[in-house]
Amino acid sequence: MKIFENKKVRVTIIVVALILILLTILAIFKPSESALIDSLSPETRQMIEADANSTRKRVTVTYNDMLAINYLSVSSSGASTVSERRVGFCGGIYNADEGAAKIVGQMVNYTYRMLGCGENWMHGAKLTILLTTITVFVGVILGTFLALGKVSKIKILSSFCSGYIFFFRGTPLLIQLFVIYFTIPGVFGFAWKNIFSAGDMEAVYKGAFLAALITFSLNSGAYCAEIVRAAIQSIDKGQAEAAKALGMSYSQTMSRIIIPQSVRRMIPPVCNEFIMILKDASLVFAISLMDITTISKNIMTSEGSYLVFIPALIIYLIITAVFTYIFDKIEKKFSVYE
Amino acid sequence: MSEGYQYILEAEHVSKKFGSLEVLKDINLKLKKGEVICIIGPSGAGKSTFLRSLNQLEKITSGKIYIKDELFLHREKDHTVEKLSKEKQQALLLEMGMVFQRFNLFPHKTVLQNIMEAPILVRKEDKNEVEARARKLLESVGLSDKADEYPSRLSGGQQQRVAIARALAMNPEIMLFDEPTSALDPELVGDVLNVMKELADEGMTMICVTHEMGFAREVADRVLFMADGVIAEEGTPEQIFEHPQVERTQSFLKSVL
Repeated sequence: MKIFENKKVRVTIIVVALILILLTILAIFKPSESALIDSLSPETRQMIEADANSTRKRVTVTYNDMLAINYLSVSSSGASTVSERRVGFCGGIYNADEGAAKIVGQMVNYTYRMLGCGENWMHGAKLTILLTTITVFVGVILGTFLALGKVSKIKILSSFCSGYIFFFRGTPLLIQLFVIYFTIPGVFGFAWKNIFSAGDMEAVYKGAFLAALITFSLNSGAYCAEIVRAAIQSIDKGQAEAAKALGMSYSQTMSRIIIPQSVRRMIPPVCNEFIMILKDASLVFAISLMDITTISKNIMTSEGSYLVFIPALIIYLIITAVFTYIFDKIEKKFSVYE
Repeated sequence: MSEGYQYILEAEHVSKKFGSLEVLKDINLKLKKGEVICIIGPSGAGKSTFLRSLNQLEKITSGKIYIKDELFLHREKDHTVEKLSKEKQQALLLEMGMVFQRFNLFPHKTVLQNIMEAPILVRKEDKNEVEARARKLLESVGLSDKADEYPSRLSGGQQQRVAIARALAMNPEIMLFDEPTSALDPELVGDVLNVMKELADEGMTMICVTHEMGFAREVADRVLFMADGVIAEEGTPEQIFEHPQVERTQSFLKSVL
């Protein structure tokens, strides 16, 4: 079949197949919670019961005497328990507490938790993807206005936009995040979590998410502005001349002639920007959001598993592959007239 | 329709400097309705700059331009002296249609959309009326079957004919042609020139910057020979091509004919 000779098609098929296999495993080996607890040794059961009544839970409990390794993960965030999940996988099936089966069990368990399966959108890969997607979306729109401002003839506007771009490209994203999350509420006397209702268990995280989203969007806007400006300036001058000769105003020329043509040229660099943000999003670990990086780091500290970072890398790779594919498709769609 | 004006276009003392380089030196031109003027001359003479100055694609350093005896532009020392209201300026600008050397069609729009864009957007005309007119124009340039193609699918000659139709869709009184056939393969030049001839026969006022001497001789009412930023010689095609008076014209014609 000719279609399989195309490298991109092959890579896509492999990626999709891997995701399907992963999801199948997750779907099949999901024993009920009571069944898991029943199969534990009396000592372990006691530990869990003691845990259940304590105010502060251990983040994750690994019981080496269990038939299944990592039978149980009690995920808890900070002082208040967000949720309590018991995850059990291959270990039980392989009946192993060492060797390859143990590693497989661990990996599947870790992947499951880093993807944020069974959790709300504030966890794992869901959080990362959500944050990245909204950031790029806002960033491109903001960047378009900044770029138009920067090439504008109005002096105040153009120097403001230049200054904005200079500032956000010239300082580290992490410190920008700290400034927005800590400094600004400190100076103006508010707290990010108070934006959400007091009864909301996750108000702290929602507040942090909002702060991260604002920081990333402002930062991305600066980078996108340069992308948009380059794209606009790459359009042949004759286009603007033809529009002007036909009597179109500056805004009509921009919105109907120049920007539609530059969109296609923006797609590859915006895809690049997307991938950069996807990885920069791991900085949210600094404000305690539970993204892929934070979860993997938590697993590392609490379980001493140095292997957890390998599935973390693979998850990032798969997300990148999927979105690169999507951007390729969009670019093709915009290229019909060439 | 009564024509309450003497000259449809008038340029007075038009000068243009790029830094210290003087591209146009005190050019004067008077054009009556229905006249066809061809501007010839060596490259770098300022032919295109002059044409582009007329519809303000180039900002002149000083000079006055009148359209239908009404002041369109008056600049001295790189500053506009008399500012017109936006509507007035726009209305006078739209009396001129322009065709470029490199076509400058909008590549992301189909042929039909290219023609319909400006009348709908700028003149706020009814879409159905514009479409009917656009199709008629396409037919007159012999491209009715290409209405839904993108410009990149057309040959250079076809693109240029679409560009002419696009300019005509705005119903201009004057058409400016900036070397319309210079970027074309030799065998495609004829189609474009034919369209331009038809246009001249219909009584359109035209200014053509061109290197097609045959076309100039056949169609033009007046030929302007430009060199070094001035109109060196001016006259009927016969005068210029058969009996050139100025030495510069003689040597130029000798080298191109």
